[in-house]
Amino acid sequence: MAAPAVKAAGGWPILALSLRSGVRRLPGLTQVRWSRYGPEYKDPRIDKEYYRKPLAELTEEEKYEQELRKTQLIKAAPAAKTSSVFEDPVISKFTNMMMKGGNKVLARSLMMQTLEAVKRKQFEKYHAASAEEQATIERNPYVIFHQALQNCEPVIGLVPILRGGHFYQVPVPLADRRRRFLAMKWMIKECREKKHRRMLMPEKLSHELLEAFHNQGPVIKKKHDMHKMAEANRALAHYRWW
Amino acid sequence: TMLRRMTRLLSGARQLDPGRFLHRGSPAPQSLDAHLDDQRPRAVSCTSEDDPVKTFNEACLMVRKPALELLHYLKNTNFAHPAVRYVLYGEKGTGKTLSLCHVVHFCAKQDWLILHIPDAHLWVKNCRGLLQSSYNKQRFDQPVEASIWLKNFKTANERFLSQIKVQEKYVWNKRESTEKGSPLGAVVEQGLTRVRNATDAVGIVLKELKNQSCLGAFHLLVAVDGVNALWGRTSLKREDKSLIAPEELALVCSLRKMVRNDWHGGAIVLTLSQTGSLFKPRKAYLPQELLGKEGFDALDPFIPILVSNYNPKEFESCIQYYLENKWLQHEKAHTEEGKKELLFLSDANPGQLERLCAYL
Repeated sequence: MAAPAVKAAGGWPILALSLRSGVRRLPGLTQVRWSRYGPEYKDPRIDKEYYRKPLAELTEEEKYEQELRKTQLIKAAPAAKTSSVFEDPVISKFTNMMMKGGNKVLARSLMMQTLEAVKRKQFEKYHAASAEEQATIERNPYVIFHQALQNCEPVIGLVPILRGGHFYQVPVPLADRRRRFLAMKWMIKECREKKHRRMLMPEKLSHELLEAFHNQGPVIKKKHDMHKMAEANRALAHYRWW
Repeated sequence: TMLRRMTRLLSGARQLDPGRFLHRGSPAPQSLDAHLDDQRPRAVSCTSEDDPVKTFNEACLMVRKPALELLHYLKNTNFAHPAVRYVLYGEKGTGKTLSLCHVVHFCAKQDWLILHIPDAHLWVKNCRGLLQSSYNKQRFDQPVEASIWLKNFKTANERFLSQIKVQEKYVWNKRESTEKGSPLGAVVEQGLTRVRNATDAVGIVLKELKNQSCLGAFHLLVAVDGVNALWGRTSLKREDKSLIAPEELALVCSLRKMVRNDWHGGAIVLTLSQTGSLFKPRKAYLPQELLGKEGFDALDPFIPILVSNYNPKEFESCIQYYLENKWLQHEKAHTEEGKKELLFLSDANPGQLERLCAYL
């Protein structure tokens, strides 16, 4: 679990032992976003292959781990995580980011329609193209999706740092997960804001994904803008202390 | 034994001249399940795929048992007896409409005259222009739906339009009339040009075809999809917001007369459909439930044909077809695990499988 948010509140006592997550408990601060699980709970392992290995193939560590898990407390697996072969963590994350108001059904159906639209467009191009070009056209929507998001990830980002009463935009190397998050965020924002009123999200998203796959389009431009700003502000790089 | 034949329509549209279809018939042995294909014909509104010709560059059909049964019956029809009614029924997404299309395609190849209504539900809901009929004051005309149907009828049966002659004189208005003995094409043209008379044109076409099929010049196939719309309720309202019963629609009346088995020289193939039906529960699929008492009595006696989900073999061959055409792009879809999962998720339902494979 990530560090839970801690809010300053007047003298609210920390409740029963099982409610804390074992991170900074300062006096006078209470946890706002916490999980009901204590630190003794382990994360579930949702992996069919892991459990299907016969006893002979297990290494010492794995045997020990399996024995341990028999008596340990394990958290409940989230409903969205399945042991299906077709599951993709990136697609799940993207779907969650597209979701509004907890409407996962709608978000998932939009995602599926987007993948279908991407597939159909690529099939049309495939049939219209000549034999040499057919070898280059990629028809797998998942490959296109992953490649497009990878192309949209910025390498370097800007962080506002307070110095002498002013906030300066300092160029900073980004962690992997921040980069992935930014790519997905830009993609969704672009598709939500810059589309025609009557155009549907799957259509626009599929168009943007295909453009990003070919390193064109507004999301790639945004990434380049971010890089240019970082380059322009490189004199401020000394303000970074980590 | 089941004879499975491959039918590949390179042109894709059944409305074209039947002689242009490429027919590759090679009886495959019982154990081979790899030679079956799936078709989604163009003008049909049932399936979710937009245009199979665009995606696959071809349109194919899977030959299944209900369709084969029907074809067997049709081949052995006795044209001197009154027309037999066959009703295809089954749960949602099992392939009733496509079996109907298969039968229509077969009859088109055998040179029958095809009277195909793609979806009768479109005639009883969401109609914009409703006119009061000039022929019968109590009834209502639907110019839009009638003209669409006339256009499709014209493209489907071009050859017959000049051969069949009208047997009565029809007066449209003060200036226009169709003489006795003029070809049926003239009536269709009149309906297409004067949209106000389109419904009457449709009624005339149906009446003439019914009378003349007994003479034996051609075989008539009446194929209606969603026939339970004719006896259900409509969602159309008059100007004073009172509901219209289906009896008051001229198109529905003429179609009901067509579906009665008081003529001979052809066959009637019908399909029930819950998907477009009004005011019927989602789980209803039996003829008694969907047709109601009135419809069941009107259609009685008929031959019911159940269309069910895929067998393991049909399922396997469907997956093989998708894999051959590279429609299933996911890496894990080739594996045994993937196939088992698809079987579990779709429960061998053809419609559900199609929707699943669309994004995989």
